[in-house]
Amino acid sequence: MLLLSETGQFSTRYADDRRVFRLRQARLGIIALLAFSYLVVPLWASDYWLSAILIPFLVLSLAGLGLNLLTGYAGQLSLGTAAFMAVGAFAAYNFQLRVEGLPFLASFLLGGLVAAAAGVVFGLPSLRIKGFYLIVSTLAAQFLVEWALTKFGWFSNFNPSGVITAPPLSVLGVDLSSPAGRYLLTLAVVTVLFVVAVRIVRSDLGRNWMAVRDMDTAAAVIGIPVARTKLLAFAIGAFYCGVAGSLWAFAYLGTVEPHGFDLNRSFQVLFIVIIGGLGSILGNFLGAAFIVLLPLLMSNLGGSLLGGVIDPGDTENLQKILFGVLIILFLIREPEGLASLWRGLRARARVWPLRD
Amino acid sequence: MSAAAYPPAPVAAAPLLAVEGISLSFGGVKAVTDISFAVRSGEICSLIGPNGAGKSSLLNVINGVYRPQQGRVVYDGVASMRITPRRAARRGIARTFQNVALFKGMSVLDNVLAGRNLHVRAGWFRQVLGLRAARDEADGHRRKAEEILAFLHIQAYRDTPVGKLPYGLQKRVELARALAAEPRLLLLDEPMAGMNLEEKMDMSCFILDINRDFGTTVVLIEHDLGVVMDISDHVVVLDYGRKIADGAPAEVRDNPDVIAAYIGSAH
Repeated sequence: MLLLSETGQFSTRYADDRRVFRLRQARLGIIALLAFSYLVVPLWASDYWLSAILIPFLVLSLAGLGLNLLTGYAGQLSLGTAAFMAVGAFAAYNFQLRVEGLPFLASFLLGGLVAAAAGVVFGLPSLRIKGFYLIVSTLAAQFLVEWALTKFGWFSNFNPSGVITAPPLSVLGVDLSSPAGRYLLTLAVVTVLFVVAVRIVRSDLGRNWMAVRDMDTAAAVIGIPVARTKLLAFAIGAFYCGVAGSLWAFAYLGTVEPHGFDLNRSFQVLFIVIIGGLGSILGNFLGAAFIVLLPLLMSNLGGSLLGGVIDPGDTENLQKILFGVLIILFLIREPEGLASLWRGLRARARVWPLRD
Repeated sequence: MSAAAYPPAPVAAAPLLAVEGISLSFGGVKAVTDISFAVRSGEICSLIGPNGAGKSSLLNVINGVYRPQQGRVVYDGVASMRITPRRAARRGIARTFQNVALFKGMSVLDNVLAGRNLHVRAGWFRQVLGLRAARDEADGHRRKAEEILAFLHIQAYRDTPVGKLPYGLQKRVELARALAAEPRLLLLDEPMAGMNLEEKMDMSCFILDINRDFGTTVVLIEHDLGVVMDISDHVVVLDYGRKIADGAPAEVRDNPDVIAAYIGSAH
């Protein structure tokens, strides 16, 4: 624990104080983590781990981040996450399809931008309504987008089943369609977007978001343009969800279909954000890990422990019940999410072996 | 507090703020009826009166939170019909609220920096890219915020979430956030409500310092008549939404209508 000591590390310039990782140890730690994720994981992890666990974990973290920017930072409740993901995925697909030779990363970016535009449109009600009423209006986005993508064949290139196979991934001529390639592409996009998000929430825009979240009348009185600030939150949050949607379709599923982005997906991302911690960047990873890894762990455990005793169908139901109970228990103990648990641990480690 | 220790800010003859014939009602309830008064540039003006006299409503009219049914507010020589809180802030009007209206989830420093948002030039995209100009600008805002924290003796709480601070300090942080905007006119809604004597003394000194050091014109609402008479250049008394007295503290104190409103008249 003394490893976490801050002794002798002073901020002598305001720029030092603004750093995300103020402590040398934290900087080394994050470099080690990045090195591990980029170099060790793709070599050592099995294809199953890469494509069935790590990729969805990363993509859902990114979608969680999008919702967290909007809800956790700017205070605008939304159940339209999956809709923005769908817009991003279908826009990226159509850009790929209709623009000859467009690089994949460019179509992800464009998909994100189209989702941002959709975010602004569906964010307009937030200028008038708040809280639960806003949830209902974002729910409209969810149903409208799903309906439109199913109803109008143009979006799925008139494919009769509505399910399109995504083209194989490649960036700068390097084929990335292998599990390791798809993992690395996802990891790279997620890394860049998380760095950008950290910088956004620490900029004046991030402060304005939190001001609007905490008290919008006071925000207006000190001169913050409340409407613009809210719409920017919808745009940027939806951009993140849009890129996450493109990755979901292209790097994870390999197919693009509207029903992969239904209301359940919105709820899933909402749970990630709530369990991870509203208003936290790290929390999105923690929440996504909880949602993706825990059921897996439980099914493996359940399979080996109860394999012969109980019918497999029943174990699956039992799992869902246990998972729900765990979520409830956890939220009672730690309503501010895993990120707050982490902050508490860090604060303790700081002064260990003393107590504060 | 002797006058020598606190040489007052120079008071200009021209009014910075003139409230002209303001009437405001909510449904059938008249909050304020035909009120006019002027606040000269550089003075400390107190609005006093019993509860429900319409003082807070009047502040809300001045910075555009409420729109009056009649009358107008002339600020810095410009009469504005449709003033919004944001427009008022841009023109140099800052305020604090009766019930502390801080951003609870943010640190003291972030609250004060949020108060500087009107002075921010670099857009968010340039800040995210970390361009040199944006970084230098951020340093400048931080320096200004630190000056204000030092001025109000709250540097030690810089990184504390404001929700965890005691009430008296929250009031001070709210004042800091208002000062961060570098306002010309500062509206303070009961800055000393709920404070003990010592805290009131501190707050009075801060208000006098702000007025003297920055030349900021102050309009404040306060119930403690001792404080009001001590620090004000000019006192306006309201009762049941009407103005019953307007003048120097000494004149107002001896005004029979004021005595009647506060203590009740002899029958």
